[in-house]
Amino acid sequence: MAFGGYPPPEHLLGDLGMEAELTTAETAWVRTRATPFVAAADGAVRAGVLATLVDIVGGAIAARVLHPDWMATADLTVQRVGPVLGPFVEARGSVLRRGRTTLVIEALVVAVHEDGRTVEVDGRPADPVAWASMTFAVLPARDPAPKVTMPAGLPSRWAFSGGGLQVPIHDTVGIEVVDGAAGHVSVPVRPYLHNSFGAVQGGVIGMLVEAAGAEALGAAYGGVGSDVVVTDLQIAYLALGRIGPVVSSARVLEPGADGRGSAVVELRDAGADDRLMTVANVVAVPAATLVGTTA
Amino acid sequence: MSTVRPDAPAEPDVDNERRRHVSDYFRLERWELPSDDAGQPAGVRGRAPVDDHTRGPGGGLRTGGLLTNLDSLGGFTSGLAVLPQWIVTTSLLATVSELRHVGPLGFRVDVVRRGRSSVVTAIDVVDEGAGARHVAAATLTCAVLDPGSMALAFERPVVVPMPPPQSDPVGPEAFFSIEPGAGPVTRLLLDDRLRNPWGILHGGAVAMLADEAACRAACAVPGTTGPNGVAAADAVLHYLRPVKVGPVEARCTVLGTAAGRTVVRVAIHDVGSDDRMTNLGTMTVLAV
Repeated sequence: MAFGGYPPPEHLLGDLGMEAELTTAETAWVRTRATPFVAAADGAVRAGVLATLVDIVGGAIAARVLHPDWMATADLTVQRVGPVLGPFVEARGSVLRRGRTTLVIEALVVAVHEDGRTVEVDGRPADPVAWASMTFAVLPARDPAPKVTMPAGLPSRWAFSGGGLQVPIHDTVGIEVVDGAAGHVSVPVRPYLHNSFGAVQGGVIGMLVEAAGAEALGAAYGGVGSDVVVTDLQIAYLALGRIGPVVSSARVLEPGADGRGSAVVELRDAGADDRLMTVANVVAVPAATLVGTTA
Repeated sequence: MSTVRPDAPAEPDVDNERRRHVSDYFRLERWELPSDDAGQPAGVRGRAPVDDHTRGPGGGLRTGGLLTNLDSLGGFTSGLAVLPQWIVTTSLLATVSELRHVGPLGFRVDVVRRGRSSVVTAIDVVDEGAGARHVAAATLTCAVLDPGSMALAFERPVVVPMPPPQSDPVGPEAFFSIEPGAGPVTRLLLDDRLRNPWGILHGGAVAMLADEAACRAACAVPGTTGPNGVAAADAVLHYLRPVKVGPVEARCTVLGTAAGRTVVRVAIHDVGSDDRMTNLGTMTVLAV
């Protein structure tokens, strides 16, 4: 599938080394390697990276289903539900509902081998790594020459190739922690992080939300962001982040008795009159409660 | 100007308190803030007590009840934002950080995006009886609809007072006609009082069914319960299609358990409407 030159040669999606396949008219998978550079404090793949994975699988399905119309992500949720055994994680997406104005997609993230075989534990498929959902707003086609060329046949496989990650993902993205307790992080907008609209890619939004929520919740626990592991992201996309820097703020909710914590994160485009881009709920648990549950 | 509450029952049924409408069951009051922007709500605020019969094993308002209030308030606010059109809920994303509530709960609802075809509201929930602790947050997305022949006229700013206490209250399972049971499938009978003005199952009833079903499914997994059992907390609910006929089945799959939290996938089907899937989401169930 060709996305009209997207992503460019130097791009985060290329460095994540994602492979993808449209398996049927309404299903697809996207796979990436579970390396230490994309891992959270418990050793498992970060929720923000999983958000990137499912955003791509959802986008691939949506582009196919909605063609020649286009789409924008309206909301995205990710819940980590089990350990990541690796060596790869694969998001498997399918259509739940195709309406006139929206498309809803579900994805299950599982641990797989490089050839796509599901990792087994005790002779049975391992528990899922995460569950995810996405709602896409349908954008009616206005250009008579569609920007996406659909493959003639299925299945159709492609890869985003790049140089690979050389440093942890948040450093690669360029996330700067300005005030951890306030959940204030900042990232410049640059082509490396763009989506097909020239704004910050939806999965990168997930990484920013994860970082802001973790910093605020880590501080609320008396530590730092790396002391907690974000398990849940519930993201509502309100507007594109085109200019930047994208800056965040967070409000921490009352912590529950079970040790888990929640925060509300807002992202704004500082270069566009602080326009509100995103509102998200973030759930995290102390890393110590999860260490040992991951291989 | 006549006022028709969009969440009022199509055929009022108030002769028996046990049969109160969904929006009255949790005794939610709501009021619109005065606005300088003609027609656009500056925000809506709400308050609901935590009556004993609505408390769950976590000690506070059952999450299904909290989600019902979120759906009612977010939908109401979104509807005001798009008058003379109206709305239907398409997704509800909520985190409930604290399950113990003193009550009453206070709700702050703000429109964070108003588009041509959808409206998004952000909702914060505080426990007013416990120093206004911030106990939950949500975003609700609604699709904009043509209301057809439904009359939608309001005295602005809108004020809906708190319904009175029930003299002979019943628990949520009985009120929402959720059949007793255990395990991965839970069934709800679609009584007329559970329908919204469009004639479809109220979004809050969907949430309560998801709560109950997820908790039953989690309980079936060894090692997931605490001294007081289990309670639902965070929720993702996609409203895919209307529930029109019933009965309604919530079919659950336990996706995983870690650190005392069990994530349950809940697929809701309208059995009488070709068994089509109407809602999908997850509930996070905690040992309490």
